[in-house]
Amino acid sequence: MTTSKSSPTVDRAAVINRLDSVTDPELDRSIVELGYIDDLRVESTVFVRFTLPTAWCSPAFAWMMAVDIRDSMSELSGVEHVTVRLADHMHAEEITNGVNEGRAFDAVFEDAMDGVEAVRATLDAKARLARQYRAVETLLGAGLDPEQITGLRRTDLTFDEETNRVAIATDGVVVYAPAPPLTEYVEKANETGILCEPDDRLFVTPEGTPITPEAFERVHHRARSARTNMTGQGAVCEALQDARYGRGSVER
Amino acid sequence: MYHHEGEDVFILDSHIHLWDASEENIDHEGGEQFIQCFYDYHTAFTPEEHQWDLETYRQYGPEKMVRDLFRDGYVDMGIFQPTYLTDFYAEGFNTTDQNAELATEYPERFVLNGQFDPRDGDAGLQELERLKDDYGIQGVKLYTAEWRGDSKGWRLDSPEAFEYLEKCAELGITNIHPHKGPTIRPLNRDAFDVADVDDAATSFPELNFIVEHVGLPRLDDFCFIAAQEPNVYGGLAVAAPFAQNRPRKFGEIMGELLFWLGEDKLLFGSDYALWEPDWLVPTVMNAELTPEQREEYGVSLTTDVKKKIMGENAAELYDIDIKEKKRTLQNDAISQQFALEDGETAAD
Repeated sequence: MTTSKSSPTVDRAAVINRLDSVTDPELDRSIVELGYIDDLRVESTVFVRFTLPTAWCSPAFAWMMAVDIRDSMSELSGVEHVTVRLADHMHAEEITNGVNEGRAFDAVFEDAMDGVEAVRATLDAKARLARQYRAVETLLGAGLDPEQITGLRRTDLTFDEETNRVAIATDGVVVYAPAPPLTEYVEKANETGILCEPDDRLFVTPEGTPITPEAFERVHHRARSARTNMTGQGAVCEALQDARYGRGSVER
Repeated sequence: MYHHEGEDVFILDSHIHLWDASEENIDHEGGEQFIQCFYDYHTAFTPEEHQWDLETYRQYGPEKMVRDLFRDGYVDMGIFQPTYLTDFYAEGFNTTDQNAELATEYPERFVLNGQFDPRDGDAGLQELERLKDDYGIQGVKLYTAEWRGDSKGWRLDSPEAFEYLEKCAELGITNIHPHKGPTIRPLNRDAFDVADVDDAATSFPELNFIVEHVGLPRLDDFCFIAAQEPNVYGGLAVAAPFAQNRPRKFGEIMGELLFWLGEDKLLFGSDYALWEPDWLVPTVMNAELTPEQREEYGVSLTTDVKKKIMGENAAELYDIDIKEKKRTLQNDAISQQFALEDGETAAD
């Protein structure tokens, strides 16, 4: 495979690591984990081919994933160019060419009402809420009560990478909990602009306002339904993917 | 009639179709994409031994439909939900007039719903009156994402749609079934957003809004709206087949629905021919929530709850007296044709 143009400095594991950070925006899960990537060639040009569970998957979602794959390679050592190919989709050509040429969604799809940003923001807000459910469940499990949880600010958390735990300072004591649900929540909360200031409240309502202790349960139930919706849609996609590629369609 | 743990369960399948996606009827590539997409859903959620071939699936005809529902599928009555798609299919995909042939032949077995599209203006309002006059329709199925020329859909909370909803109220067409379901290309995603149901339901408290497919994949938005609007219901077509190959997920979705809407506001629908009641009805009747799910949601899926979902709730909305109806059905043309004794199906 080595040619005069190839660069020995491009690390395949680093490429996969970057790709792993790209999510299916509707499911909030890694496209690597979902098995969408079916061809990857790593040289000075990185070539990524991906296939979605159905040919009818929303073109807006497919577009977002293609753009995110392309952009995830930026400033990766040794990568001079990236080519993305969407396979087996009703708009495979438009999306592949549009994204590789750096064009805008609504320039490629003339009947699109507008760009994909509003759709992306809606999906991101839901992903944030679904992650909030898991984070709050973790804190409840660690013994915090609704009043303590709704009062938390970003600065009350200290992540310890070594133990993979998070220390939560509340009411003058420190409580420990498993870090991953909180790490994942903070990441999405940052992306969606919930945690701009260090003393911003950690958790907010679906509308983005602080949660009163009285409203805690209701908000938590709404967060749960966001998660059920997301994993329910995940099950639809999984069943379609199984039907399409001939794997036995059973609950994993 | 289905029997479960010694009890009769009246099955009123609230979502059935008699469609024609034969190649001769398709006159836009969207029509071919539409049926292919339906077929993907069919194979994804149907046990392998019950899957149809694509040719049968395109056009199965009235005789097979009657056998599948009433002889083999435990169904006592079915509600026709039309889907016109006249931009894609020359004679329409599944229209009220086409469904009426079967509904007229077996009036005791079918409820015939109509449809409207507010982009049809005054002519559409007249057509709605005609459907009421000709067939006495009590409900309409609405497809807000239907393409019509340059338009890629419409909203239930638009002034034009409100004019039609006023007409429905005036004519006594009380059951409004908007399709709010999976993203089906080449229809537009935003047209399936559930937000427009909220305003319509508040403005027309005398009408019932049965959101088909419970808004999946907008289940959370749907639940939140439905919990606040007493006249919003959930149609389980698409959610029901989860019970077959995603039972844990089915339990979670039912947990959410029972938690937010309650057991009186959910209607079973097979979505025939997307899925068939012969395997779907027993699968749903045998489905259970896990102990963790019962605790998490504080609800349970008892036989009484299932009886409501499988028929009683829809009967309430369509003024069907189940006791009376059971007597009538014992001896109707279908029972005689298939030798269904005492309301039992031959498959029992």
